[in-house]
Amino acid sequence: MKEMSQYGMGTWNACFHCGNCTAVCSLTEEGILFPRKEIRALQMGLEDKLATSVEPWLCYYCGDCTETCPRDANPGELMMSVRRWLTAKYDWTGLAGLFYKSLSALIIAFVLVAIGIVAMGFVKDFNSEAVMYFGHILEFYLILTVFTIILIPNILRMFYFTVIKAKVNAPFGSYIAAIGNLITHMFTQVKTLKCDKQTVRWLEHFLLVMGYLGLLVITVFLDWFGTENQIIIYMGYITGGLVFVFTFLLMISRLSKARELNKYSQPTDWFFIIWLFLMGFTAFLVRLFIDIDLLNDHFWIYMVHLIVVSQWGMLLVPFGKWTHFLYRSFAVSFANLKKAALIKKLATAA
Amino acid sequence: MTGIIFTKVDNGYSGALDYNELFFYAKGIPGVGPVWYSTDVPLYDKQAMADLIKEQQLKRIVVAGDTPGMVKPFLTGAMVIAGNNPEDVVLASFREYGATDNTKIDRAKGILFCIALGVTFAEAALPEETDVQPDTLVIGGGIAGIQASLEIANGNQKVYLVERTGTLGGHMAMFDKTFPTLDCAACILTPKMVEVGQHPNIEILTYSEVKGVTGEPGNYKVKILNKARRVDLATCIGCGICTEKCPAKAPSEFDNGTTLRKAIYIPFPQAVPNKYLIDADSCTYVLKGKCGVCVKVCPVEGCIDLDAKDQEMEITVGNIIVATGFKPFDAGKIERFGYGKYPQVITSLELERLINAAGPTEGNIHFRSQDKKGNWIFSVESGMPKSFAIIHCVGSRDENYNKYCSRVCCMYSLKLAHLIKEKLEDADVFEYYIDMRAFGKGYEEFYERIENEGIHIVRGRTAKIEERNGRLMVRSEDILNDQLIEQEVDMVVLSIGLEPREDAAELAEMLGISTEEEGWFTEANYNTDPVNTFVGGITIAGVCQGPKDIPDAVAQGSAAAARVLQSIVKGKIKKSIKDMPLEKIEEKAKQFSNSMEGKS
Ligand SMILES: Cc1cc2nc3c(=O)[nH]c(=O)nc-3n(C[C@H](O)[C@H](O)[C@H](O)COP(=O)(O)OP(=O)(O)OC[C@H]3O[C@@H](n4cnc5c(N)ncnc54)[C@H](O)[C@@H]3O)c2cc1C
Ligand code: SF4
Ligand code: SF4
Ligand code: SF4
Ligand code: SF4
Repeated sequence: MKEMSQYGMGTWNACFHCGNCTAVCSLTEEGILFPRKEIRALQMGLEDKLATSVEPWLCYYCGDCTETCPRDANPGELMMSVRRWLTAKYDWTGLAGLFYKSLSALIIAFVLVAIGIVAMGFVKDFNSEAVMYFGHILEFYLILTVFTIILIPNILRMFYFTVIKAKVNAPFGSYIAAIGNLITHMFTQVKTLKCDKQTVRWLEHFLLVMGYLGLLVITVFLDWFGTENQIIIYMGYITGGLVFVFTFLLMISRLSKARELNKYSQPTDWFFIIWLFLMGFTAFLVRLFIDIDLLNDHFWIYMVHLIVVSQWGMLLVPFGKWTHFLYRSFAVSFANLKKAALIKKLATAA
Repeated sequence: MTGIIFTKVDNGYSGALDYNELFFYAKGIPGVGPVWYSTDVPLYDKQAMADLIKEQQLKRIVVAGDTPGMVKPFLTGAMVIAGNNPEDVVLASFREYGATDNTKIDRAKGILFCIALGVTFAEAALPEETDVQPDTLVIGGGIAGIQASLEIANGNQKVYLVERTGTLGGHMAMFDKTFPTLDCAACILTPKMVEVGQHPNIEILTYSEVKGVTGEPGNYKVKILNKARRVDLATCIGCGICTEKCPAKAPSEFDNGTTLRKAIYIPFPQAVPNKYLIDADSCTYVLKGKCGVCVKVCPVEGCIDLDAKDQEMEITVGNIIVATGFKPFDAGKIERFGYGKYPQVITSLELERLINAAGPTEGNIHFRSQDKKGNWIFSVESGMPKSFAIIHCVGSRDENYNKYCSRVCCMYSLKLAHLIKEKLEDADVFEYYIDMRAFGKGYEEFYERIENEGIHIVRGRTAKIEERNGRLMVRSEDILNDQLIEQEVDMVVLSIGLEPREDAAELAEMLGISTEEEGWFTEANYNTDPVNTFVGGITIAGVCQGPKDIPDAVAQGSAAAARVLQSIVKGKIKKSIKDMPLEKIEEKAKQFSNSMEGKS
């Protein structure tokens, strides 16, 4: 599985299967064992086994396993690499894999999107109203298409791999419960709290997700840039601020690499954070310029914002790290199915 | 023409040999043409390599490096294709002759020079011989030092045996039984200790340390510090009345702190010499200037001298055997195991003392508890645990602590599991291991035997220990059964590994011998010369050379003694390889190589 090293780093051959990582992890439980078993599958080249496992998504990369691995095999980073690889596996277009493996492909795509937006602006004579109207519609349809054409099929593929192909035979009732915890989980990622020493990280993460979702709703559905409603305007400032402040903090911590999990950042991870930051920051500026009547003279700021948003929506959301957030939420539900199936199996066996 | 290929391994060790320097040195050796790194030649493509050999008109190839043997087969193949003699691929192994780090770069150069000229290093660097003094110094009175002393003394030669603590015996004296025979440790060791104590040829210097070594092979002047025992060895009758009355207490070193001893004490009842001593760090008189109770109750006048001072002596010896053993790994370093935090997490060495009938709990296993003054000790007054977890590889085989395997802990863990069962028949014992290392004669059979005694042996390294329901929860993956287990037990035993002594580096410097990266003393040749060092007249034996069990430590003690006796019988001893300057080696190699050419 040489291919895996293109998704991250490759020291897992050093692993001597002591099981320390599985036991030290706060998120493992009976029937849900990782990361050692994933390393085993990898060392033996059992691609199918790896592709059908949900476990990699349950890891929150607290780094405990890597810190205590007696062989410096870096199991935590391995889980991260497997997640990247799985993202590519689930993605039917094949673009996710291409972007992970080739930085130049990603950059070319970014440039193409930017040229497209500038060309559109050119066609519209950089008339602020026309361009902003177009931008608003674009955002709306972008969300719709990305969801229906890419994300939903990919989640179905994930379901196929991890539940059907893995032959998880769960009782019907557990499916209904699974939907319930999907929803709580998606918004709170509350499971991270189970990891020791993770409260601060969880809070950062939670506020960032809330800020991001808020900003999305407010700009796309409540038309932040067009509205006169004071409440919406202030809400926009708050959410936009949350996003860029927290991404900024995240960037600083990545740079200082204080925490174990930040030791090996991939270029794609950087894109994710930087673009999130730029989105929050440019949105904030655009609205600020509107409020102090500067936007018409400085229309370029909206152009930049639109370029950033389009790159984010067309590339990073469907093919980049954003999907991890989605897959992870579903994985918790699928893992619950697996657990339910295990209980059922044990019950019938007894 | 001769070509040289360096196989460089980058192990990230900062003191490693400077290959760049060797590379340039190699270019200047007579008869040497091209010099390469192995990464610069098509090593694994025999045809391309053969073409290169032909193009460069090479007749011989020297492969130089730490373990150059690995690439030899590829080169012999290429030599054959090139129409040369495969025998002309020769190895210059730096490690084989002890050029292990950059302080020995001259030796590495010497090795290169000799091999390039077709002369073996041992031939050219053979040190000259010199006269030898007949007396021998043995440093360390553990089983290895005891064995070596007896062998030499029984050969009618004089031995000074220097031991830092108040008694001989080392770690072995602490054990109840030894694997794999389950012999009573004291039954093997005590007779040997007594024999040393009574031997006319052995002068035991306990509570003493080596402070300085000068001179040269065959004639060393050694300065020894005799710390004040404050009890006269000649007149103390060992009655123990002083101990009974002494008011001061301190943790017992011999019992690994499992109990307290008085300030005036005997380390253990079978100690050799069987005499008492005063620990200045806890004696009230020494600390506060008043007490003297022991002097008053002592039946022998003048036996206790509370004001005795440390003394120094100097001896002259021809040979020195170093047998200083090991230090147990400090379990408190691994926070996740809670040693020092949870009182019922104990070390293997502590358990050895509990199980020993002469230990603090009369051979029974009790919980650790606090005495009236708040000291944590083991006493027969507290309850007994019913379930145990024994955790292997604590501090060993771990990149975060010691990378190496400590070699004895698998076996002693099995031994301890057996001894627990012997004491507490109904106890549940769980053992958590990574790999079971049962490498010696009778060891695999021992493993099988213990497995059949109803001990739960689990493959999986324990990751953490936490308190749960007032007991200890041990979390591990049970790899062979594909399970995660959270086992609740009453007591956890950490099988700590072996580490070099804190003062190993200091002692090595004093003696001029070398230590490895991990701190063990370096032998002259791992395979063929395991007890000699590169310094003439200085040999090493026992765990101070690397982790090993008692039989191996004893074997090395005997082997070191054989080296010493050899030199005494012959009256001559070899000087040190390390004393040969590079120019001299070069000169000799040239002579040898010329005379060989003359013959052929
Ligand atoms: C818990 C445990 C259980 C074990 N059980 C077994 C078993 O059942 N069977 C078995 O075969 N092996 C067993 N071993 C291994 C065994 O302890 C060693 O093989 C053995 O003790 C080695 O003896 P040694 O003489 O080399 O070192 P040591 O026993 O360490 O003796 C060294 C001596 O040198 C003295 N010394 C150190 N430095 C100086 C100095 N600078 N100056 C003067 N004196 C000094 C020390 O005080 C000590 O007396 C066990 C080890 C442990 C930790
Ligand atoms: S802790 Fe390290 S060596 Fe042990 S199983 Fe995990 S990855 Fe492998
Ligand atoms: S990084 Fe943390 S969550 Fe992930 S496997 Fe390691 S210990 Fe578990
Ligand atoms: S002087 Fe007092 S404290 Fe010191 S050893 Fe004698 S009795 Fe003990
Ligand atoms: S002997 Fe066994 S317990 Fe000790 S370090 Fe080696 S493998 Fe681990």
